[in-house]
Amino acid sequence: MNRLQANICLICVTLCWSTEVVIFSCIPDNVLPFATTFICNAIASVVLLACFFKRIKNEISKSGKKIILRCMLLGALNCCYNVLYLYGLNFFDVSTGAFTFSMTVVVLPVVLITMRKFVGAKTWVSVVLVLAGISCALGGNIKSIHPVGLLLMFSGCIVRAVFIVKLNDFAKEHDSIPLSAFVSVFVAVFSFIIWFVLQPETFSAIPWSSTIVASLFIHAYFIIAFAQTLNIFAQKRATAAEATIIYTLEIVFSLIWGAVLPETLIDRAIPTPFQIAGALLIVLGSIVEIVEFKGKRGIKNAKKS
Amino acid sequence: MLKNLNLPNPVRLCLLTAVLVMVYLIIAIPFKVMNVIPGFTDIRPVMLFKPVYGVFFGIPGCLAFTIGNLIGDIMSGSLRWTSVSGFAANFLGPYVFYVFWKRISKTPFSLRTFKRILIQIAVIIVSSVIEVVIIAPSVKLIYPEVDFILLSVTIFLNGTLFPLALGIPLMILMQEELGFKPYKKLNSEVYE
Repeated sequence: MNRLQANICLICVTLCWSTEVVIFSCIPDNVLPFATTFICNAIASVVLLACFFKRIKNEISKSGKKIILRCMLLGALNCCYNVLYLYGLNFFDVSTGAFTFSMTVVVLPVVLITMRKFVGAKTWVSVVLVLAGISCALGGNIKSIHPVGLLLMFSGCIVRAVFIVKLNDFAKEHDSIPLSAFVSVFVAVFSFIIWFVLQPETFSAIPWSSTIVASLFIHAYFIIAFAQTLNIFAQKRATAAEATIIYTLEIVFSLIWGAVLPETLIDRAIPTPFQIAGALLIVLGSIVEIVEFKGKRGIKNAKKS
Repeated sequence: MLKNLNLPNPVRLCLLTAVLVMVYLIIAIPFKVMNVIPGFTDIRPVMLFKPVYGVFFGIPGCLAFTIGNLIGDIMSGSLRWTSVSGFAANFLGPYVFYVFWKRISKTPFSLRTFKRILIQIAVIIVSSVIEVVIIAPSVKLIYPEVDFILLSVTIFLNGTLFPLALGIPLMILMQEELGFKPYKKLNSEVYE
């Protein structure tokens, strides 16, 4: 997979994640998010383990406990930022919360520097553009942001940034499929523990229907088994900064779904001019990060190599 | 896996088709709950398999795609006379990819450059137009009450957006990382 293909895969991953809103609109509000996270990750891990059993076995014999421990760490980080986002979102309306969620891109360069990793000028330009986009989209809502909510979301963004950096490091070292399968396994285990603590009735508390089952399977196939695996493969070639900046496109895709999908699937939400301008700035920020800007010297060097 | 079985080629092709139909159905069935025009069309991410089946699995892939669609219609209770045109369109959809990369294109299938991706997008559009031309008029002919424009647009978007947004990355993944090779007649490498 070359860099162009990795970026295309990351855009696809972001696109899949953005459809989460559409899929979850089919699940009643009284079903806890930890329940859906557990069920979807459990299905995805079973699918991955069943389809790639040999490959996963080979990786375990090669890496031993290391891959398991690393996936456990990734699973814990994943659950941690999900919990922070979940409680943080209670202080926001949907669109403000969604834009605040994209703040990971602002936190990431700081996390990278803290971990003594290089952050290029192009990444800083992209981050500024994305931050401008988020601020523009939030518009007048910035004043009404609750400090506790903001703190929770900000903490979630830091944990997510660490997760992305670590995932990026591990993706370059391990086979992507076992990594994806074990991350799903641990996310499922941790989510189940939280679900059990919050709702001891677990499965019997879910008002099962064909729509819920279908939505859970759709989420498991596309957003976890497919998108997560594709994400890890793409991260082998892409940097953590590239990945995070492309992830901010999620909010752009969500705006598009809200505006164009039929009302039988999702509540229509026409974006405001500020949100459209913000989305355009986010797209511009992503383009700056993805596109290879080569001057005459750069082209000559590329030809020589 | 099929490569390891010591079976005659026709049996292997049948097995391959059956496995592909099963994969198609596993993905297609849950989406039957998302209807745009109930009984006629729905949101179909399973269309992402259209280029995948055509390029990597050839004729067995095309057959699996159309058989999967037919079984999906039967299981969801939307089997009608128009399923005949659906059967033809869903065979031709992936077949366009097979024919293009096997017979028309002078270079082997690859999505490593921007130009090759643009070519793949063009083939996706051609394939979707063919599907619309086959399905939409036949539905309108038998069920005049159906909104022709909405049906055509939905078929076109299903046939274009999913292969484009999900199919292209899946094909990149299959070719670059999972070792799949474009289908060659009776080439055992594809069964890996």
